[in-house]
Amino acid sequence: MIAIIDYGMGNLASVQKAIRKLGKDVIITCDKKEIQEASLIVLPGVGSFEQGMKNLKDRGLIESLNQEVIQNKKPFLGICLGMQLIMEKGTEPIECKGLGWIKGTVEVINNSRFPVPHLGWNKTYKLGEENQEDNLSNNFYFIHSYHVLPEEQIECTYVDYEFKMIASIQKENIYATQFHPEKSQNAGLSLLKTYIESHA
Amino acid sequence: MLKVRLIPIMTFNGISLVKTKQFANTRTVGNPIQVARVYNSRNVDELVFIDIKATEQGRKINLPLVKKVIDECFMPVTIGGGINTFEDINDLLGIGADKVLIKSMALQDPDFIVKAVDYFGSQCISVAVDVILDNGEYWIYQKSDNKLLMETFIDKMHQCNVGEFVVNAVYNDGMMNGFDKELYQKVIRITSKPIVALGGAGTPKHFTELLKTNYKGALAAASIYHFTQYTPQDVKIALKKEQIPVRI
Repeated sequence: MIAIIDYGMGNLASVQKAIRKLGKDVIITCDKKEIQEASLIVLPGVGSFEQGMKNLKDRGLIESLNQEVIQNKKPFLGICLGMQLIMEKGTEPIECKGLGWIKGTVEVINNSRFPVPHLGWNKTYKLGEENQEDNLSNNFYFIHSYHVLPEEQIECTYVDYEFKMIASIQKENIYATQFHPEKSQNAGLSLLKTYIESHA
Repeated sequence: MLKVRLIPIMTFNGISLVKTKQFANTRTVGNPIQVARVYNSRNVDELVFIDIKATEQGRKINLPLVKKVIDECFMPVTIGGGINTFEDINDLLGIGADKVLIKSMALQDPDFIVKAVDYFGSQCISVAVDVILDNGEYWIYQKSDNKLLMETFIDKMHQCNVGEFVVNAVYNDGMMNGFDKELYQKVIRITSKPIVALGGAGTPKHFTELLKTNYKGALAAASIYHFTQYTPQDVKIALKKEQIPVRI
């Protein structure tokens, strides 16, 4: 069973729909026992960093996420705000502490040439593969005004948006995307399928 | 590189999908669920669904039907029509809408928009700007005969920090005679927010013509996809030939 964490931050139904489309069992829950029993934890979310942390805290979920993801090394997928919350520190709208699973911060996109939010489909790539063909399989849907800045060596993918901006991060059992795989048509469904089948 | 978004629009009258000309001369164009399924299979970038009669007929949007439309889609979906309360927005987001498109409430009560942006987040609040052309000026109808300068309205909504503007040239609606390039030049001078241009697309060339100007926003259309042989993919192929970045 895959558990999508319900903490009152946005569009959980879409993530559930996408995972169901892949034929996987999935629940939306904030129940500690269900989180404990899940084979994979998904933390989606839309909204501000501060509100996100507050909601996790109010529901007593921080401890239970730390227990499962950090101590028990359960596979974890963060999406959008769910990616940002695993960093040490956020700045939206004011400086506040995150889950701290990855060293680094979340900052507003500071861009002179392109609009903020970064909204739409963009090509993601690994370092050294910048010139890879731009096609349907590597374009994902983004909508965000803040981006993560890790301060440790972890596996990342990037998008070009005036500068190289982080699109996804991976460290041990933790994988997180700034883009929305559940909204990224076949590219997104295929990414979810690969991740779920190799981890849950 | 960020791609230009191409967005089919589905307009619904409470019974079936329809297409208007200059907001009149309604033609029936099919079943919304089937049409959504086709657009999803064609891998479109985004979809907008509007119940154009909900406000006029004083009814709420049909949630079970809209849910079936959204369930067909694995791309972002915007829903509009008859949105008057936080509960309406909450209901639509709850069934999987990514954004809601608001018109009447934005004109009547900007404070509602401020509060909605605060509560739901800027990214999911889109505002519909239905533009008319009169004496060389762009206007919006606030009530049946009370006009407001488009610039004033967009500027006010920009201050409310809405997530996106869907700017529809009503005089071009269904005419398939090309986008109003001047209109969008004007809009990008008023706001730096994401824009969706709508009204007038009839051939792939119309899309490239607009994107060769300073306008780099999204392009929406309905008639071209309902009434011609061109699919969103055909338009993308034409854009790609002109070195315009598209997801293809």
